[in-house]
Amino acid sequence: MVPADLLPTDLDVLVIGTGAGGAPLLARLAQAGLRVAALEAGVRHPPGGIATDEIAQAGIFWMDERLSAGQNPVSFGRNNSGRGVGGSTLHYTAYTPRAQADDLKLRTEFGVGQDWPLEFADLEPYYDELEFFLGVSGPAEYPWGPPRRRAYRHPPLPLNGAARLMARACAEIGLRTSPAANAALSRPQDQPGYGIRHACTNRGFCQAGCSVGAKASMDVTFLALAEAHGARIVDGAQATALTMKDGRVTGAEFMRGGEVEHLGAKTVILAAGAVETPRLLLMNGLANSSGQVGRNFMAHVGVQVWGQVEDDLRPYRGIPGGLISEDTHRVPGLIGGYLLQSLGVMPVTYAVQYARGTHQWGPELVRHLSGYRHVAGINMLGECLPSEHNYLELSDELDGRGLPKPRVHFSFGENERKMADHAEALMRDLWDRIGARDVWALPRAAHTLGTARMGADPETSVVNPSGRTHDIENLWICDNSTYPSSLSVNPALTQMALSLRTADALLKELKRV
Amino acid sequence: MTPGERNAILALLNSASVTEPTRRALVERLDARYERQFFDEAEFAVLRAVAIRLVPHDPDEMDLTGTVDHRLHSGVGDGWRYDAAPPDGEAYQALLSALPAGFETLESVAQDAAIHAVGISHPHAFEDLLAELTEAFMAHPLTQYRFGYVGFADALNWLYAGPNELEAQEEAYGPR
Repeated sequence: MVPADLLPTDLDVLVIGTGAGGAPLLARLAQAGLRVAALEAGVRHPPGGIATDEIAQAGIFWMDERLSAGQNPVSFGRNNSGRGVGGSTLHYTAYTPRAQADDLKLRTEFGVGQDWPLEFADLEPYYDELEFFLGVSGPAEYPWGPPRRRAYRHPPLPLNGAARLMARACAEIGLRTSPAANAALSRPQDQPGYGIRHACTNRGFCQAGCSVGAKASMDVTFLALAEAHGARIVDGAQATALTMKDGRVTGAEFMRGGEVEHLGAKTVILAAGAVETPRLLLMNGLANSSGQVGRNFMAHVGVQVWGQVEDDLRPYRGIPGGLISEDTHRVPGLIGGYLLQSLGVMPVTYAVQYARGTHQWGPELVRHLSGYRHVAGINMLGECLPSEHNYLELSDELDGRGLPKPRVHFSFGENERKMADHAEALMRDLWDRIGARDVWALPRAAHTLGTARMGADPETSVVNPSGRTHDIENLWICDNSTYPSSLSVNPALTQMALSLRTADALLKELKRV
Repeated sequence: MTPGERNAILALLNSASVTEPTRRALVERLDARYERQFFDEAEFAVLRAVAIRLVPHDPDEMDLTGTVDHRLHSGVGDGWRYDAAPPDGEAYQALLSALPAGFETLESVAQDAAIHAVGISHPHAFEDLLAELTEAFMAHPLTQYRFGYVGFADALNWLYAGPNELEAQEEAYGPR
């Protein structure tokens, strides 16, 4: 820990959060010569200290208690949010599909949901840049979306057992599949500011943290680059308040080792994610003239179907998300669509999901778990429409720091239910075709999205299309809270694209001033 | 745990196939025993009996009940809880007190019937407790050995990822 008297002064920009929202822009702004720093609630987790053990790696998850309400309460902790230098990218499975152009135009296409205030063409150059910089491994020809202008930097990673079974089953019914794009290296690469990142060792513990730096988490990519250009990362520092003067934000208070400290800056960027960002804004009563802070919380429809086969699959081997199909991107009768993805899984995660998902106990539970080596999974990830009945609020219950715990209300609407049913039936059919036994489905929602949406109209949104809050000129938000709709793909790559875009917008603005 | 099982587990954990952070975590867990601190003696005895029915195991081999008690005493959470449920410790105590008196001395059939009943009357606490015990069970090196799981041997690359493409230590590890 750095002593308080060594905190940077005269900061141009203070970023709160070091995940996929905060890290890329931190690097971009540092490279442009700005004086920048980031506050991170968690600590550093250098790859060499990462154990191949799910319990030992609990420290990379956000374990402060959140209250889950509604008909489909969202599980947090090891499911949905990271803590540490790198944020949730420490535990993401590095699955990096691009959004498709129509994902951004749901209202135009269906008359419900929300359009994004930007176009695919606004994101595309950033996707190109990111896939190269992160070292995404992927197929030479990706079957869905517009043709890419720049090929994936590395060939795809090897397909594990579940991926090969899914490919076979999909082929039987004419669903196209492809090796997925993964931000994990199939070949070593030199990473500016970090050094050589090793190729993936097929260890399969992406969600427990990568021990060799193969996975493009922010710590071994953008944050290393940012620090090489003079950015400061203050870790173990939980932001507790934004400080204001004359209608402008002047910095943030944070708790570090039980002490309250302050860091001042000319501009503040909130990048704390779709739970902590609205929580901080609501605690401070800021940026909420629209009444939209905390509203329209979304989580992707994420049903998983699991089965066991005769083959010895060893589901801990290989990248967990190896194979993808986006042939279900549009399905008659559904608003938006979903994708399918094969799943590897770590043993404890599998066991806990099985217990929660089936409530099976006693000898039958142990018998099922003893078949872990034969487990294969498929996952769907689908559109979640923004809705009035899904929101985050502050509860009366206080956490260890004396701050109100967030309460998140979440219930599937009709479209989410229909989509989950459609996908579950399809996935069960696929697993039946490979002769899987003990097939079971885990109803599930994944990712935290929304709660501070972007839009052109200050009456109905919290930030403008660049990420600046409508209410406070020098307060910006850059994380998954600004998503107006959920998109039907994993959010990390798009989040990083938004981060670089926000950095460019801010730099342009600072030049103008 | 037989001496043979213990030797096999330690032989792999102490080999060059396992990195130091992973070895440290698993060796410590192999012998972890906790002193009761959160529950009172009576509650703890009932919890142990429930745990053995929910996730059948030998408490002399792995201290799953102590793991739960230790977690509650240290105040560590798993990041969330059902809004409709009280804090974990209170929820578990309510579940335990809803079981019939003398639960730990009942026949197993009567125990199972009582567990079914509290599963319905205390659904969130039941699910949370089941999940927590299952986690401790699956994370234990002895369980992993018996299930032939060798994914913690992380010092080398896994060369293969396909079905039935087993590497030497995967062939060799686990009960015969």
